[in-house]
Amino acid sequence: MTKRSDIDLLRNQSTRGTNGDIWNVAVDEYAQGFLKRRDLLKYAALLGLTGFAASQGLFTPGAARAATAGGTVRVGLGQPTKAIDPVTVTDPASIGVLSQVGEYLILDDPKDGLQPKLALSWEADETAKRWTFKLRPGVKFHDGRSVTAKDVVASFERLVDPASGSSALSAYKGILSKGGAKVVDDETVAFDLDQSNSNFPFYVSSDVYNAVIVPADYAGDFEKNFNGTGPFKLESFRPKQGATFVRNPDYWGDKALPDRVEIKFFDDEQAQVLALQAGQLDVIPSTTRLELAIEGNPNFKLLSVQASSHDPAHLRTDQAPFTDKRVRRALALTIDREAVVKGLLKGRAIVGNDTPFAPIFPSADPAVPQRKQDIAEAKRLLGEAGVPNGFEVTLTTERAYDIPDYAVIIQNFAKKAGIDIKLNVLPQDAYYGSATFGSSPWLDSNLGITDFGHRGTPDIFLNATLKSSGAWNAAHFNNPDYDALLIDYGKARDLQAQRVAAGKIQTLLLDETPLIISYFSQYSRIVSSKVEGVRFTAISHLLLDKVSFV
Amino acid sequence: MIASMAIVRPLAARAGALLLTLWLVSALVFLAGQVLPGDVGRVMLGPFADAQAVAELNRKLGTDQPIPSQYWHWFSKAITGDFGDSLSMRAPVAPFVLSSIKNSAALAGVVLLFLVPIGIGAGVVAGLRSGSLADRLIVLTGVSLSIVPDFVSGLLLLMVFGLWLAWFPISGAAPDGAGFWTSSYHLILPALPLVLNLIGYVARMTRAGVIEARGADYTRTAILKGLSPSQVLFKHVLRNALVPTVAVIATQSGFLLGGLVVIEALFGIQGLGNLVLSAAKARDFPMLEAGVLVMAAIFVSTAAIGDLLQALLDPRQRRRNAP
Repeated sequence: MTKRSDIDLLRNQSTRGTNGDIWNVAVDEYAQGFLKRRDLLKYAALLGLTGFAASQGLFTPGAARAATAGGTVRVGLGQPTKAIDPVTVTDPASIGVLSQVGEYLILDDPKDGLQPKLALSWEADETAKRWTFKLRPGVKFHDGRSVTAKDVVASFERLVDPASGSSALSAYKGILSKGGAKVVDDETVAFDLDQSNSNFPFYVSSDVYNAVIVPADYAGDFEKNFNGTGPFKLESFRPKQGATFVRNPDYWGDKALPDRVEIKFFDDEQAQVLALQAGQLDVIPSTTRLELAIEGNPNFKLLSVQASSHDPAHLRTDQAPFTDKRVRRALALTIDREAVVKGLLKGRAIVGNDTPFAPIFPSADPAVPQRKQDIAEAKRLLGEAGVPNGFEVTLTTERAYDIPDYAVIIQNFAKKAGIDIKLNVLPQDAYYGSATFGSSPWLDSNLGITDFGHRGTPDIFLNATLKSSGAWNAAHFNNPDYDALLIDYGKARDLQAQRVAAGKIQTLLLDETPLIISYFSQYSRIVSSKVEGVRFTAISHLLLDKVSFV
Repeated sequence: MIASMAIVRPLAARAGALLLTLWLVSALVFLAGQVLPGDVGRVMLGPFADAQAVAELNRKLGTDQPIPSQYWHWFSKAITGDFGDSLSMRAPVAPFVLSSIKNSAALAGVVLLFLVPIGIGAGVVAGLRSGSLADRLIVLTGVSLSIVPDFVSGLLLLMVFGLWLAWFPISGAAPDGAGFWTSSYHLILPALPLVLNLIGYVARMTRAGVIEARGADYTRTAILKGLSPSQVLFKHVLRNALVPTVAVIATQSGFLLGGLVVIEALFGIQGLGNLVLSAAKARDFPMLEAGVLVMAAIFVSTAAIGDLLQALLDPRQRRRNAP
């Protein structure tokens, strides 16, 4: 139970106009026990109430331990698929390397939410269409030049330029266009958005992993000097082999504890885990296969962060047999989600309810009932839809992560209701095809499973995968009610209103079932028990500045 | 004059065949690359990149052009030694290929260092005492080892000598600025599975050669002339017995320099196999083309060198080539 005086103190935190309203609702939710402490912190961060957590003692850091500086952290990563360039990176290994030297305006920390980095504070106008960011003074690039608003504006203008080929283009579509970022003064940047967005700080945070701040005159040759602002700076880089970084003595914040970071690229997972076991690495990525190798071994730890990553199965609502929503619901009802989470994902996931509202999003409405396996009901629905003996359908998907296994699991569950699924598993790039309707198995298949990485808010999932005009609407879901609800959700400026809109969306999606989302998986890494303080995000950032050795 | 022509003509024919082979390989790789699913721009920019940006990149790279024109564009530059820029690494291809050849050659060197003396030694012992227990043991062990795939023995060796005993580093790639000995030390563990795999083959070839040479008339003549056993062995038996072995080792060197994808991946060595594999995955055509061409060149030229060595060792082969 939170004491009355604490609540008043919290309430006094925000004095700004509209932000004050949002904050009051968040505090009310927190007082009533609907909002977790962590989520309240996330709201504080979203409103730019920086330094709030520390001042209120809401977030108690783990037992203060005098971490000792020094040592070399040795990291194993996969092989970057191309030259490392913040503007174009997409692969986890490159993002891991980039996190040593590159920084964002804001870090979306999996534990504490949005954390000010190169931006000190931020606020929106009444309509949430113009956002203003105050930059942290005294930040220097590794080459010694100071970071100014000009660099920040240039960094974002580069990302939204269609010619850049940045994958951030799809994140900013409909939100930020060329000319939207503006220099106000040397330490202030303003963003004029294409449409109101209450969650915009997430869009300039590490959530859009390409949004690293680089000098205004950056020409795409990042691998030459890795010129960023981060706690480490480049010592040496050998393409296809690895990179080493040393502590940046001119870092604006707390100096990094380790003297060095040594990153080695591996073509093979097995080689990675063997090198970890031989004591030649301290940190490696984690997959269910690798975890088997260290299970029960006290020399290693598995660290996980909760994420909104999921593998939605889309059901084409405009093509037989899934034109009938009863058929779609029937297929969704065959799946035992608990079993998928426990078996396939070894418990490192949370059960999904066929909407992109992962339970980790504060705006998700927890009151919407959870869909459970019900074969009898599935059969009844199939009978009602006129296919009592089931039907045959092809499930097209990609050979990536646990997805092929997940497809087999779905195939087996569906059999229980008489649905006969044939599998068509393609290489990842073949599955995505040209990623446009008409020439992409992903967007054209009748039934398919696609991987979606973590995002800090459900906005991108809701807009791109389900809106009738969505660029990634593989289900070809065309529902005016949904589109209208989405506008309500976007307009909702406080948590209560967001949750009401979310509840309606969740209920509609359960009824319509254009997507089957049976889990949201965690993101994990394997570390040696000799190291402490390894932090990472669900989108592959690897933060090593607080690492110490025990 | 006639004698030199006798050498030059087959050499020229050989070189012509070699160039024709390389040209065919280049065309085939190019075609194979085209039938692989997915397009270059999409692979480079990732699944979520803007379709317009992908089209723009394809236009810039010329990958939207018809295949013959793409091929001609590449080929006309390649014959001048310009393999272009890597699509994925955004840097010239040549340094990547050179460094991977260096890494592959270092590995092959360490393999041969163990393979040649041990394989030939075992073969000679087995051949000299054919039918004995030692002979049977050598032949049987060699055959058994050769049927164990290198990635299986590689993993086993890694676990025993890398993990449990910790005698050797897990990685085949030495740290930055390591010297010759450190680099070689890092390569011993990756080399062993290949040595084990090939040793039986080399030993068997040597053994067969030794048995044949020992039964030959010239050996009998040499013994009857009263030469010492060691003179008979080194001057008459081995010189003739090793001819087929030399050819085998030359062909295997080609394989060692180009086809070690699994071992290179397992031990983290950036050799030619790995280079070609990652280029294929990334649809990095300039890198793939250059890598495969170099591989093909190594294969055909090691085979040619093998033939040449055989000819030098065996006068009968030289005569066969004469008009």
